[in-house]
Amino acid sequence: MLRLALNMLFGDTAKLAMLLCGLAFSALLMAQQTSVFFGIMSWTYTPVVNIRAHVWVSDPMVEQANDAKPMRDTELGRVRSVDGVAWAAPLHTSFLQARMVDGNFKLITMVGIDADTFAGAPAQLSQGQIDDLRLPNTVIVDEWGAQLMGRQVKGPDGKITTVALKPGDVFEINDIEARIVGICKVRRAFTGGPFVYTTYDRAKSYTLGARRTLSFMLVEPVAGVTPTELCQRIENETGLKAWTTDTVIWDWTDRSLARATFWWFWKNTGIPFSFGTAVALGLFVGIAISGQTFYSFVLENLKYFAAIKAMGASMRVLSAMLFVQATTAGLIGFGLGAGMAQAIGRVMIEKGMPPFVMFPQVLIATLILTMGISFVSAIIGIVKVSRVDAATVFRG
Amino acid sequence: MTTTIAVSARQVDISFGSEEAKVIALNHTDFSAHTGELIMLVGPSGCGKTTLLSVIAGTLTPQSGEIEVFGQRLDGLSQEELTTFRRKNLGFVFQSFNLIPTLSVVENVMIPLLIQGASHAVAKKKATEILEKVGLKGREEGKPNALSGGQQQRVAIARALVHEPPLLICDEPTSALDKDTGAQIMEMIRALSRAPNRCVVVVTHDFRIFKYADRIAEMEDGKIKRVVDDPRTLDPTYL
Repeated sequence: MLRLALNMLFGDTAKLAMLLCGLAFSALLMAQQTSVFFGIMSWTYTPVVNIRAHVWVSDPMVEQANDAKPMRDTELGRVRSVDGVAWAAPLHTSFLQARMVDGNFKLITMVGIDADTFAGAPAQLSQGQIDDLRLPNTVIVDEWGAQLMGRQVKGPDGKITTVALKPGDVFEINDIEARIVGICKVRRAFTGGPFVYTTYDRAKSYTLGARRTLSFMLVEPVAGVTPTELCQRIENETGLKAWTTDTVIWDWTDRSLARATFWWFWKNTGIPFSFGTAVALGLFVGIAISGQTFYSFVLENLKYFAAIKAMGASMRVLSAMLFVQATTAGLIGFGLGAGMAQAIGRVMIEKGMPPFVMFPQVLIATLILTMGISFVSAIIGIVKVSRVDAATVFRG
Repeated sequence: MTTTIAVSARQVDISFGSEEAKVIALNHTDFSAHTGELIMLVGPSGCGKTTLLSVIAGTLTPQSGEIEVFGQRLDGLSQEELTTFRRKNLGFVFQSFNLIPTLSVVENVMIPLLIQGASHAVAKKKATEILEKVGLKGREEGKPNALSGGQQQRVAIARALVHEPPLLICDEPTSALDKDTGAQIMEMIRALSRAPNRCVVVVTHDFRIFKYADRIAEMEDGKIKRVVDDPRTLDPTYL
């Protein structure tokens, strides 16, 4: 009977198309919105991804990666003295205004890295080389920043185009020259400003000699010591806060800076609520459309279900038929919706906006919710069929 | 040919609605049908024909009285037991055919066998064979809507008989058919009723098919008024 149930479902193409549209739209909305949400949230811990180190050390009051509470430079020596530390390098991060040659100002995220080791330097440069950062007043700008901070040029046709910054171009930070010697590829940050890398000492001068400029310390454990162990030792001996840098936000067990940053934004911003609303909307729209369509599918077939009931089909068989129909529609709808979400995601990733991260968990949750919608629809249908009197088949 | 009682209804009562708007559908009704017989239930609209048919078919439980079909008492059976009874013993031919339009002809005929738990292959084989018997060879894979009214009723008859039930219930089997097609269908149904262990009960308003009945039970106000062998003795106002 289950095979016939599927044939009944696929035999009504128009109704099936409407049912699948509802389910696919719902799955698309849930998967796409959730993936954009996680994409945006993944930007919150971008500094941890871009500035690579196994352990970050911060002021004990720091709650997340964008929340630098500057320390004295002397803290670096204390951390270096902890047993198990292979090396420790200073890191400065701050938000500054850059003045472009055309007089325009742009917000930047300044990253000052150790000039000796270049610990925390960008992984990939598309132009220039990292060693040139040792030259006076030099910086490396990320690709997106090079475009954002580029010069507006009016062409012969009157059309305004942006010419991206390139090595050799200059701008100013607090009236101090910043000469670009490289363009790097890094992930964009939630806080918006492009990353401008320079040396730690030069970052101090760009911040006009602030008393405390040590935002974080990047630390590498010696062989045989895990980051978690080292974090514990650093905290015990210095009283500072030490973080690991893994980015598995689902793991609740340890002291990841990325995870802390993710959940800080989760708790302290309206982003989850806003995206949660869209996801809930997808769910409700899905239930409404699919439930209604499946219900009308059941209504249209009610006299046939009544006839099958009169012929001796038990409610168990009829329920199984409806469940098979709803489950099949749910699976196809999920496939279509998730596929569309993937396709949209690919376009987003290629364009870089908005960010898009589709965790397997998102797909699993979308599948569960889509199947939930189908089951609700099936149950509505089963209730209707269970109430239909088999004797109605004799009433014309 | 020896015949036995196939269907027996004794003092069956059924009413619908509450006290003020109470409608008595069956009023101490007695009825019987035999194996090898085609019996028709006739009478004006609202006389209780369909209600009696529903009671015999086990889709409606009487408030009082006894119903026995092929030795099995139906009154007092649970819904699940009635469902099992229908599955094994009954074949239905409906007024509006009730063929599922999204399924093929052969799939429609397979339904009773699949409900009984037959495999898809076995059900298809038997359904194909019976479709050949009702003259629809070659139309198995088509959709019911592509067939004429007479052909659709043949499919319905094939579906009703594919699992070889002893009791065939026909509700206005010719009302949607023209005269000639109706005659063909009734010839077929009468032939089927000649099986030694089968009984056919037909509810109809169509006086043109009365001649196919072995007996005709005339109903009025929820009771069997009389049972006749010759339709010409019926009250002409019912015809």
